[in-house]
Amino acid sequence: MTIWLIVGLALLTYASRALALVFLPKPSPPVEAMLRRVPGPLFAGFAAISLVTSSGAATPPATLAAVLAALLVARTRSLLIILSAGLAGYSAAEVIGALF
Amino acid sequence: MVLGATSPFAAAIGVFGTIYGAGASAVADPATIVLSSLVVFSGAVQFAAVGLLLTGAGPLAILLTAAMLNSRNLLLGAALRSSLEEPRRKRAFLAWWLVDETAGLTLASPAPPGRTLLFSGAFCYAAWVIGTAFGVLGASLASLEELVAAVFPVLFVGLAAQSTRTRDGVLRVAAAAVVSLLLAFAVPEIRSVIPAIAAVAVAMPGEKG
Repeated sequence: MTIWLIVGLALLTYASRALALVFLPKPSPPVEAMLRRVPGPLFAGFAAISLVTSSGAATPPATLAAVLAALLVARTRSLLIILSAGLAGYSAAEVIGALF
Repeated sequence: MVLGATSPFAAAIGVFGTIYGAGASAVADPATIVLSSLVVFSGAVQFAAVGLLLTGAGPLAILLTAAMLNSRNLLLGAALRSSLEEPRRKRAFLAWWLVDETAGLTLASPAPPGRTLLFSGAFCYAAWVIGTAFGVLGASLASLEELVAAVFPVLFVGLAAQSTRTRDGVLRVAAAAVVSLLLAFAVPEIRSVIPAIAAVAVAMPGEKG
């Protein structure tokens, strides 16, 4: 890994972050309404792809159990409760996996 | 409040920073590895670069991969843009802190968006750089990798829940999750941009009524 490669990666990464945030004008009302609908689906997408490895295989069952447990309490909208449930689901799957 | 919500993300990012620092030792010296985390601040890009270097890929292939991985930042920036009232120069400073996790926290938080992006970003950045330094120094948290990998989807479930208030929103979230999952299995090579594609696709149709 050379310094020039790092500089290139840094410039590309910062440019991608700044392009919309700095140069995009305030969006028109229809575009703003559409963008307001993006976050929830975007986060759901991030969660979903985390269940698939970069080679296209499913992640370990414990990860799936963590997500399912988190989904069960998602209605609370509490990050702390959802994280706790996820960790409990993960631990339960690990224990069950060790037993069988 | 921002620091409290950021803590689990920062902890997970710190662990991945340590794994990155240890793994990158195969392709760079310690100072270069820490420098990469200081100036790039992108786990996806840095892990991909190390992976490609290990396979013998050249700089052009690595930069093209980075450009593809970074394309989702355009959507995150666009989604954040309308909530930021700061002048252009300040937005240019805030852009540095834009990563998946900080964008999520900013969009889901009731706190002022500029401040949330800054504080959550600084917290995650510190965790990433310190984690990298620990990894370079020989710390090994590989045993935690599976647990930490499970924390990210759980936290994104939480952010999706916090961002969704209506039945229409729940349907869009469910549709995006299903589409992303299917696409990730079908074309894992473009995995990193799938959530953006799915989110825009399900956000396009207007609300009924």
